[in-house]
Amino acid sequence: MRGLGFALLSGGLFGAGLRISGMTDTRRVQGWLDVFGAWDPTLAFVLGGAILPMAVAWRVAARRDLSYLGLALPAAPSRELDRSLILGSILFGMGWALAGLCPGPALASISFGGVGGLVFLLAMLGGMIAAPALRARLDAAAPATSPRSKMDIRALTPTYAVSPQIELSDLPAIKAAGFATVIDNRPDGEIPAHLHTPHMKAAAEALGLAFIANPVIGGALTMENVRLQRQVMAEASGPVFAYCASGNRCSVVWALMNAGQKSTDDLISTPAKYGYNLEPLRGQIEALAAEPGAGKD
Amino acid sequence: MLDWFWGFVGGLMIGGAAAAYLLFNGRVMGASGIIGELVDRSGWSNWAERLVFLAGLIGVPYVLSLLIGGETHLTGNWLVIVLAGVLVGIGTRLANGCTSGHGVCGISRLSLRGIVATLLYLLAGGLTMVLLRQLIEVI
Repeated sequence: MRGLGFALLSGGLFGAGLRISGMTDTRRVQGWLDVFGAWDPTLAFVLGGAILPMAVAWRVAARRDLSYLGLALPAAPSRELDRSLILGSILFGMGWALAGLCPGPALASISFGGVGGLVFLLAMLGGMIAAPALRARLDAAAPATSPRSKMDIRALTPTYAVSPQIELSDLPAIKAAGFATVIDNRPDGEIPAHLHTPHMKAAAEALGLAFIANPVIGGALTMENVRLQRQVMAEASGPVFAYCASGNRCSVVWALMNAGQKSTDDLISTPAKYGYNLEPLRGQIEALAAEPGAGKD
Repeated sequence: MLDWFWGFVGGLMIGGAAAAYLLFNGRVMGASGIIGELVDRSGWSNWAERLVFLAGLIGVPYVLSLLIGGETHLTGNWLVIVLAGVLVGIGTRLANGCTSGHGVCGISRLSLRGIVATLLYLLAGGLTMVLLRQLIEVI
């Protein structure tokens, strides 16, 4: 894997910077937050010193397509100020003031922070494990008619719909539309971290939706993908909602799992209504339809 | 005088670390995300990169502590430690960032979320200090 050397270098330099700047000293952090007490301005110099090289780095990154190691650069940041960001930042600020430790310094000081530092770290990790379920509840409590829900449900049959990538905040509308099961046909590697399987699954299940990850690698769909999709359809207690990047992969899996059960023309013309071109798969669908036992388990 | 000087030098090192992580690895250096997406399993696709980063983050301060010492002056009140840890853990994952991700990396790219998050946690931290230290003297 590329980048391990630079990950070690960054982590080490980050740790050294935290120790040298005084960020691992809880008195200094609490002194900075204690605006009406003996205020200690040191952290303003730490933050200022850290922002300078990083502001240059963002300008360099903006002119590049890939990193110096040829890896993808981060996407443009979201501008959405959701309730998770606001509540989370407030809770974090309270905890930061209480003990004077934030996540970086808590890790950097673990070798000299004694039992107290270890207990803080374990409590912090516990909070991090609990957070996805809490976030799912917050998102589910958001009104389903939220203007940022731009969802596009594309029904191929009365019991199977496909869609481009959804947000956590779209799940209540999917539930409200009568779906029982959600299938994620996209590998986590191509999705922003907050939409990865554990978060989506927790949010879907909190609403009473079944959630199954059946990752289809673009251009490398397997018959195991088809078999799993068919099994989920067979076991679903109601209509099934499948999403990937555009809905194309969900349509391809649907056409292949129905080969021999519906006419090849129907399997191609139905997704075409939504702009999915399955014509190149005609040969594969017909070959599957011709197999003995096609479309049956 | 020395305090702010070392604060600034340490800050440059933190920013340099974040710059290297961005320009070579193509990633935003956020401590809470790097560890948080390991423990909630959402970031296992690049676990080795995360573990190596954490090894540097823990190992280098350890070596420094042998040379120049280290003291966190953490409170001895266990209830405060546990409560603070849980709040920091839940808060940073809900907000998707902490001082490094939102503060250093977010403000430097003028990200609206980063700036709002930083203002909110500074405000909440300042109010917590006023309430608990100045008014009822708990911490």
